[in-house]
Amino acid sequence: MEIKYTTQGLLVYMTITAYLLAFVAAVFRRTKAGHILYLSGFAIAVCSFGYRWYHVRHVPLQNLFEVFLCLGMIYPVTLFCRRVLRVGGYGADMLIGAIVLFPAGFVFNAEPQQLPPALQNWLFTPHVAVYMLSYIFMAKAAFQAICQLAGRNSRPGENLLPPEEATYRMIYAGFPLLTLGLILGSYWGKQAWGDYWGWDPKELWSLASWLVFVGYFHYRYMSGNKHPRINSLWAIAGMAAIIITLLWVNLSRIFSGLHSYAT
Amino acid sequence: MQKYRRTIMWVGLVLIIILIVLSIYGAFIGAERAEQFFNHPPLVVYWTALVTLFIIGIAAFRRLVRVPGLLLIHAGCVLILAGGMWGSRVGHNLQKKLFGIDKIRSGRMAIYEGTSDNLVVLDGSREQKELPFSLKLKDFRIEYYKPAYLRIQIRQGGQWKIPVEAGKEFPLGDEAGTIKIVKAYENFKIGMEEGKSIPLDDPSPGSNPALEVQITEPGGQTSTQYVFELFPGHSHGQDKFLLSYRRVISDYISELQIIEDGKVVAEKNVEVNHPLRFGGYHFYQSSYDDKAFQYTVLQVVSDTGLYVVYAGYWMLCIGVIWHLWLRHIFTRIKSKST
Repeated sequence: MEIKYTTQGLLVYMTITAYLLAFVAAVFRRTKAGHILYLSGFAIAVCSFGYRWYHVRHVPLQNLFEVFLCLGMIYPVTLFCRRVLRVGGYGADMLIGAIVLFPAGFVFNAEPQQLPPALQNWLFTPHVAVYMLSYIFMAKAAFQAICQLAGRNSRPGENLLPPEEATYRMIYAGFPLLTLGLILGSYWGKQAWGDYWGWDPKELWSLASWLVFVGYFHYRYMSGNKHPRINSLWAIAGMAAIIITLLWVNLSRIFSGLHSYAT
Repeated sequence: MQKYRRTIMWVGLVLIIILIVLSIYGAFIGAERAEQFFNHPPLVVYWTALVTLFIIGIAAFRRLVRVPGLLLIHAGCVLILAGGMWGSRVGHNLQKKLFGIDKIRSGRMAIYEGTSDNLVVLDGSREQKELPFSLKLKDFRIEYYKPAYLRIQIRQGGQWKIPVEAGKEFPLGDEAGTIKIVKAYENFKIGMEEGKSIPLDDPSPGSNPALEVQITEPGGQTSTQYVFELFPGHSHGQDKFLLSYRRVISDYISELQIIEDGKVVAEKNVEVNHPLRFGGYHFYQSSYDDKAFQYTVLQVVSDTGLYVVYAGYWMLCIGVIWHLWLRHIFTRIKSKST
């Protein structure tokens, strides 16, 4: 763990602080202040991402530091989910934003790197970007699933969906992105490495994550709302598989493979 | 019928769970062993069962046929699996037995500059097979990001990263002095001239990238050091500076010609992400002669089943996006307009 005494580091720490303050304000029901802080945090996160982009001169989605920087720009998803999909979790999103930026600020190496030949492909940005977006939806789904297991419900008058339905809706929103990420990656693999499926640990974990959500859909189709707890467990298992795909596969030596450069 | 459908759903769910478990297991054993594992006969049975269940499911559930998104998703999965199986090692063996199609599934070929070749060493064996056409390597080269950088560290602490620009002097502070890159060599060699050894850039095949660096101490004394890319961290105990020179590769390029019946029928530069497609095969930049850059190694992959898989990808993507997003968006727009 190290503190980054750079402009980039400062921007990351400012975003974390704004998100945490926004979370505290939300906990104490200071809705307006929370919203302003959250929005400010997002603005700084965008600046941070833009600064990195300018600095490395390619879309900064190459390694875990850059990917987590991207994940920190969670605000538009929160807004979209609340306004359009009627899914809450406003406070949780602030916390998710701070949590994902924490390793970017203190753990991951921020040394700028030039793109290796394999990453110089138009698919690089859409493949990683759709995955990141889907991961945010799935993280929100997992949070709603935890709320369902904990017996928490939305407050009356908020016009939000109950947790079980909210979980379903989040997975509905995120699953096409997850599918697109998997297929774009496979198509890119064919162009770069000669095979659309290389049985690489990262590929297999992403397939496992995708399959868990496929399982969720099938189970929910079969049982509907009869076993909401099992539905929630599927969603949480899916998120666990995503965390392993994103972090463990890249950081652990157990899973060395074609995606090892993404650390 | 209801019970029958329920059974299909349960079997489907069990097969999904089995595949989750197998994928996780495969991730732990590494790509090479995982590929063998997923091609083992019991797994071939599993894949066949999965495809069969998809087809039974489409036949048994009217909803899967009536709802276009669901039909696309499930039929897309069938195509992906069928294409994958048809293009697999087992699939290639089957094609040879049933239809006499003897195609190379995957292998590698090394071609020297200025020569042509059609021999492919098959993956997983020492067996060689001939392609029905030849490939000629006109040139192989590596391109690097510019500028390259020289990293400087001093033992007392402090580090710099300076762009490699011959003739330019960089100040390193009052205590360290200045550093100047005198010359960049592609193939550094020591030659003799009038009985004295001198450094030279050898134009003959070979690669030994190096920098000639002149260090001026705060007192005014100058010394010359050579920094070699191939020997990072090379330094003497008394050296004040630790220097390292590393260029970052931006591309590997093989300029190729395809020769059929003695005529050049196609030309292409094969790069990473830009394979050559010809005669039912794809050729990829795989490796190269890292000593003298005299030959390239290409990966040869058969395209059997590939376009079936791609068709499945399209169907799956369109199906998922239609079923989970667009259908709802259109319904919402429709209900708002009425």
